[in-house]
Amino acid sequence: MSTPPIVLDVQGISISFGGLKAVQNFSLKLPRGRLYGLIGPNGAGKTTVFNLLTGVYQADSGTITLDGVKLNGLKPHQIAAAGLSRTFQNIRLFGELSVLDNVRLACHLRGKHSIWSTILRSAYHMGQEAAIHRRSLDLLGILGLDSRAGEQARNLPYGDQRRLEIARALATDPKVLLLDEPAAGMNPQEKKSLRDLIRQIMRQFDVTILLIEHDMGVVMDICERITVLDYGVTIAEDVPKEIQKNPKVIEAYLGEAAPAAH
Amino acid sequence: MPTLIEQARSNKPAAASILPRAIWPLLVGLAIGALMFYVIGPGMGDYPSKIVLIAGINIILAVSLTVVNGFTGQFSMGHAGFMAVGGYVAATITYYGSMKLFGSADPAGGVLSFTGGADKPTALARWGDALFIGSCLMGGVGAAIAGYIVGLPSLRLRGDYLAIVTLGFGEIVRVLLQGTHEQIQPWRVEDALAKPVYELAISLGGPKGFQLLPTYTTLFWVYLFVVVTLIICYRVKNSSTGRAFLSIREDEIAAQAMGVDITKYKVRAFVLAAFFAGVAGGLYAMDIGAINAGDLGFLKSFDIIIMVVLGGMGSISGAALAAIILTILPELLRNPPPVWPVGLVLIALIAGVSSYRKRFRWKPIIVIAIASTLLEVGRQIALSKGINVADFRLILYALLLITMMLVRPQGIFGIHEIWEILPGYARREAARNGARGGSQGGKP
Repeated sequence: MSTPPIVLDVQGISISFGGLKAVQNFSLKLPRGRLYGLIGPNGAGKTTVFNLLTGVYQADSGTITLDGVKLNGLKPHQIAAAGLSRTFQNIRLFGELSVLDNVRLACHLRGKHSIWSTILRSAYHMGQEAAIHRRSLDLLGILGLDSRAGEQARNLPYGDQRRLEIARALATDPKVLLLDEPAAGMNPQEKKSLRDLIRQIMRQFDVTILLIEHDMGVVMDICERITVLDYGVTIAEDVPKEIQKNPKVIEAYLGEAAPAAH
Repeated sequence: MPTLIEQARSNKPAAASILPRAIWPLLVGLAIGALMFYVIGPGMGDYPSKIVLIAGINIILAVSLTVVNGFTGQFSMGHAGFMAVGGYVAATITYYGSMKLFGSADPAGGVLSFTGGADKPTALARWGDALFIGSCLMGGVGAAIAGYIVGLPSLRLRGDYLAIVTLGFGEIVRVLLQGTHEQIQPWRVEDALAKPVYELAISLGGPKGFQLLPTYTTLFWVYLFVVVTLIICYRVKNSSTGRAFLSIREDEIAAQAMGVDITKYKVRAFVLAAFFAGVAGGLYAMDIGAINAGDLGFLKSFDIIIMVVLGGMGSISGAALAAIILTILPELLRNPPPVWPVGLVLIALIAGVSSYRKRFRWKPIIVIAIASTLLEVGRQIALSKGINVADFRLILYALLLITMMLVRPQGIFGIHEIWEILPGYARREAARNGARGGSQGGKP
């Protein structure tokens, strides 16, 4: 079996906030069509890695390459245009807007919007709006949110808000999707359907996924490889089975094994 | 899967519907302008129709500021500055342009821009009207350029910092305009003709203001622009561009992550709003026949901000309604009519809408009932004791503002438009979206 081409290539990125080395020398090679996980205890720097990848922070050193495009120094919206999309750990929906408008906004990226055609409602504008509308409803349908299209996003239940974030991220037509704790706050039933959903999305949208998750059940079940961060340093990178046995990982999560009592 | 742009190309509506859709706002504007000018204005008399005219100018200002403060959530305090730029550009072009083209600074318009005077023109419109409208549009363009120049460096700032920069911009405009040279008086046309254009462009009356302008602004022109402004802002709000504006207000980081170039869209919003403010400035100058930068300082900006806040941040119809209310209110308070009929109508409306939505709300009804009673009692006492309410009108105005903010801090309509809170809207919208859940699309 040949390895698919690397779509997201991260090489040795680091960032410090003052004296705090939040992420040190983080590297990751994400092959196309795969699902990798990023785990670590609280404060390990997982979300900081996502913020570095999506341009919220600029890396002090190292390079990030997405499908041959260097992302260092690009602004977040340019990175989104290059094909990297994300969801947020603390949900960041456009709360006052409708569910439909949240997704429609994200379709914005792949269109052309001149102010004149908007004001005059040109044929191109109308065609594009109709296409955006249809595409958004399709996406909502896939994620099972179409019956809630008209509701304000902030009134959705928590699990639906998480799924809306995924729908919105997919609407930007990404090559790589970064999911930041998609299962947080979900009950076991919702977690199970989330797993199925993520698999379905990968098949249907031909998208590569990097996932941050605290729920080991989800991570060990769906991720093909896992990177473990602790205090900003990569302590392990392997398939789930090996990660479970890795003493460093166990130590990071549970603390050092107590010396045997005499 | 075809890309969005390919889909849009293959998806174009029939060619026959393009032109009508592009120009119907203009036709509606002409119709409503004519209605205001020929029917409603004369029916009301001179003084009320003047108030309605000013209300129209305020609608343009408030609705355009809604694009910045309401849609993108940026707090601009320099809207009067854009109005001043537009007003002075329009006034300069009309005043000195009249001298160059028509040999005098007198109005040279037709019936549609006849604002009173000795000889009423016979033609419906004359070349003076073209000069006037062209100058208002140029005023808009001038203000838009100012908006771009201010916006580009300062829109990287957020919140309070941006507010201070825009406040500073408004003051700079005021001081610059007040530092211009003496204007060349209307009776010295030869001097004006002899001078080069750039020298005319800085002879704008300085601290005395730019005076003796030809007056052109009538209800027709104002409401033509009101309708066009409203429809353009509505179209922008309900488009990808508008959603990008709103997303910036909701969450800048998420907006960026979804590919919105927030600086570009903030500048766009600023330029669009400045354009309409500039047009309003032109209409304002050629209504009064004078424009003074001293009147267009930050106090004027605050007046406009109050309209936007009262209307609801992001609601076009709310801002327009608030502009009307806040223009008429101080005038009504000169000799207050009974308010209880308005109170009754409001109570009936709230009771109707809230019981339709099966969430009957007592609180606003009680508040309105008490307020109407108190106001009526106060009015009767004032009448019987011979107190002149007009002396207290600005205090009453301020009190009413405070009360409205306490009762309804999100503004009259919140972020919604007037038709969105009417019964049945949610159902129709859900049907349009083809939602399968039926009645779930309810507005909160």
